[in-house]
Amino acid sequence: MNQSYSTADKQDTRQAQRFSSTSIAVLTIYSLVVLMIFGSRLVSPSLGGLSQLMTVLYLSSFLVICAFGQGLVIMVRGLDLSVASMITLGGVLSTTFMQGTNEGLYFIIPGILLISALVGGISGFGITRLSIPPFIMTMAMGLIVYSVCLGFTEGTPRGFPAPILNAFMQSKVFGVALPILLMLILIVIFTTLQSYSAFGRKLNAVGNNPDAANIAGITVKRMTISAYAISAACSALAGVLLAAYANGATLRMGDDYLLPSIAAVVVGGSSILGGRGNFLGTVGGALLLTTLSSMLSALGVGQGWKTVLEGVVILVALLMLREQVFASLQSMFKRSS
Amino acid sequence: MSLITKKKHITLAAALGVSMLAAGMQPAEAKTEDGKWLIYLSLSYSGNSWQSEAANIVKALAQTPPYDETVELVEVISGTDPQSQISDYESMIANGADGIVSFPISSNALNRTVRHGCDQGVLFFMYDATVTEQCAYNVSYITSGFGENTAQALVNELQGEGKIFLSRGVPGNSVDERHTNGAMHIFDQYPGIEVVAEYYSNWDDRTTQQETSKALAAHPDVDGIWAQAGEYGAIQALLQADENRLVPITGENSNGFRLALANEEYQAKGLSGVSAGSPPAQSGFAFKLMMEMLEGQRESLPEDKRNIQYPLPWVSAGDVQLCEGDTFENGCNTFPEDKVPSSFVTEVFNPQLLPELSLASALEGSPTPGATIQPLPEDVIENAPNEPGINCRSCDTPENLYELTTVEATVSP
Repeated sequence: MNQSYSTADKQDTRQAQRFSSTSIAVLTIYSLVVLMIFGSRLVSPSLGGLSQLMTVLYLSSFLVICAFGQGLVIMVRGLDLSVASMITLGGVLSTTFMQGTNEGLYFIIPGILLISALVGGISGFGITRLSIPPFIMTMAMGLIVYSVCLGFTEGTPRGFPAPILNAFMQSKVFGVALPILLMLILIVIFTTLQSYSAFGRKLNAVGNNPDAANIAGITVKRMTISAYAISAACSALAGVLLAAYANGATLRMGDDYLLPSIAAVVVGGSSILGGRGNFLGTVGGALLLTTLSSMLSALGVGQGWKTVLEGVVILVALLMLREQVFASLQSMFKRSS
Repeated sequence: MSLITKKKHITLAAALGVSMLAAGMQPAEAKTEDGKWLIYLSLSYSGNSWQSEAANIVKALAQTPPYDETVELVEVISGTDPQSQISDYESMIANGADGIVSFPISSNALNRTVRHGCDQGVLFFMYDATVTEQCAYNVSYITSGFGENTAQALVNELQGEGKIFLSRGVPGNSVDERHTNGAMHIFDQYPGIEVVAEYYSNWDDRTTQQETSKALAAHPDVDGIWAQAGEYGAIQALLQADENRLVPITGENSNGFRLALANEEYQAKGLSGVSAGSPPAQSGFAFKLMMEMLEGQRESLPEDKRNIQYPLPWVSAGDVQLCEGDTFENGCNTFPEDKVPSSFVTEVFNPQLLPELSLASALEGSPTPGATIQPLPEDVIENAPNEPGINCRSCDTPENLYELTTVEATVSP
C-alpha cells in the first residue's frame, strides 16, 4: 500500500516537472512572438500595432489548423507529408461541389472532411497494417491525391466557393476578422482534445511507448490511423478556408504549408520523435513563423536572405527550447530563491 | 486515308523543294508509321491555369481538321528541373520527332540539346519563355516591354508620386528579372515614386494575396501596386485590409482582374489600372507557325531572325468588354464570372492568329466543332529585338531596350 502511494507521488512530481517544462516552452515561444511584434516597430512605424497582430493572426489561422493534424501525427511517431495535397484536395472539392452557391453547404463541408479523413485513414492503414514507413506512405498518398486533382481538373480547378464562405472570410466582428474567431474556437477544441481528453492521453501513450500502450489495452493501430485521418481532415479544412480566402482553388495552393506545418509543431516544443507535444506550443510556433515572415516582407530583404533568416530563427527557437536550457533555468531559479 | 497520304506526299514534295531552296537544309519527314508528323509538346509543369491553357490550346489545334489527320501530338511534362527537360528532348529527338513545341525551363541550360536536335532536322518552337540557342524559334511577348509599359501606366495613374509595392514572380527567373528591370527603369526616373515593399508572389493569386497582406500591415498607406501574374490576389488583400479603399494596380491577364477593373463599385473605391502580360495564345501561334513551315506553306527563317515577337495584350478599365459567347468576338476580351474561374488567363484567343479556338479549347483541350485550321496572315512575323541572356547569347543590348511602346508618359519625371 505504502509502496503504491510512493510510486504515485513520484509519477506526480514527474508529471509536474514535465508540465512545467512544457509550460515554460509555451511561455518562451509566446514571449518571442510578442517581442517580435513589438520589435517590428523598428522596421516600420506602422508595424507593431493592432493591425499587424490581426494580419498575423489571420494568416496564421490556415497554418494553425493543418499544424494541429501534423502535431497529432508527429505525436504518434509519424510524419504527414501529404498536407499540401490534402489542402489542394479540400480546395478543389469545395469549389467543385459549391459552384458558387450556398446550396447544400451543410453537407458539402462535412462531406469534404469525411472524404479527406478517409484518405488519411488509408495512409494510416498502410502505415500500421502494411508497415510502410510513414513518410513514404504519406508522400505516396500526397502524390496520388495531387495527381487525381490534376487529372480531374485538367490543370484548371473550376467553380467558386460558396458566397457565404467568402463573406465569412472577409467579415469582421468588433474589428476582429471571423476566421480569427474561428481559429480561437478551434484552438480551445483542439487543446482540449489533445491535452485533456482520453483520446489525447491515449495518443500520448502510443507515442511514448506503443508496446506499453498496447499492453495497457490501447488499440494502438486504431489510434494511429485516427491521427492520420484527423490530420488529413484538418488539412482539407484549411484548403476549404484557403479557397474561400482566395476566391478559388489552384493546384499548388498547399505547397507553402507542408514544411511550415512541421516547423510549427517542432518549434512549438513538441518532440519530432513523438510522445511529447502541446498544441498551444504549436499555435505559438505558427504565430512565430508567420510574424517572422511578415516582418521580413516589410523589411524588404532579398528572397535569399529572407529564407536564411527564417532558418536561423527556427534553429535559435529550437535551441532555446531544449530541455537542458530549461533544466539550467530551473536550477538557476532554485538557487536564486 | 490514301488520299490524305497522297496529299501529304505532294505537300512534302513542295516542302522539300521550298525549304531546300530557301535554307539549304534537310527538310523534316513525317516519321510515324501512319505517315503523320510526329510533334512533341514539352511542358515545364502542369498545375497552374496558364500552363494548362497554353497546353490545351496546342492540343485543341492538333485535333482540328486537317491536323487531326496529319499530326500525332505527344505531350511530355518535365517538371521544373532543366535536367529532366534535357533528357526528355533527347528521347524526343531519338524517337524521330519532326517538331517540338515547348515551354523551355531554362534560357541557357537546354542550348546544347536544342542544337543537337536542330542538326537532326528537328524544328524547335519555344513559346513564352525563350532559349538563347539561335537555331530554335522563340515565339514570345517577353521583349514587348511588359515591365516598362505597365510601370509607366502606373506612374501616369499616380501623377508621378506615391508609395508602391512590387509584386514579383519567381525568384531568379529570367522573365521576372526582365519585367522588373524594365519597370525599375521607369520608376527610377520619378523621384516621387517610392517602392516601399517588394515581394515574390510566384505568379500565383493566393501567394500574391498573402504577401500583399503582409506588406499592407507595414504600409497601409500604399498608393499603387505594380504586379506580375497573381494581381487578382492584390485586390483581395486590399479589400480585406480596408473594404472601402482600393488603389491603382497594373497586372497581367486574369479574368478576375479584368472584371474588377470594369467594376464600377471598385472604381469608386479607387481601383484603376491596366491588364497586360503573358498570353497563353503564344503556344497556339508557335504551333501553327511550325506546322506551316513543316508543311512547306511558309519558308523557314535564317538563324538570326528566329526571335518572333508576340504583341503585348493591353486592356485598361475602359477597354474591358464582356464576351457573350465562348470566344473573343466583336472586340470582347473578358468572360462573365460564371464561365471561368477568376484565375483563368483570358488571353487565350486571338481572332487574327487563332480563329479556330473557343473556351472549351482552352479549358479542356477539345477542338471547336466545325472549325478548320485557317492559314496565318502572310506578314504575321514581327521580329523581336535581341536581348542578351533572353533570346541570344553573343549579341548587343539595343540602346532603346526599355523604350515605351504601348503607353506614353503623361507626367514628366
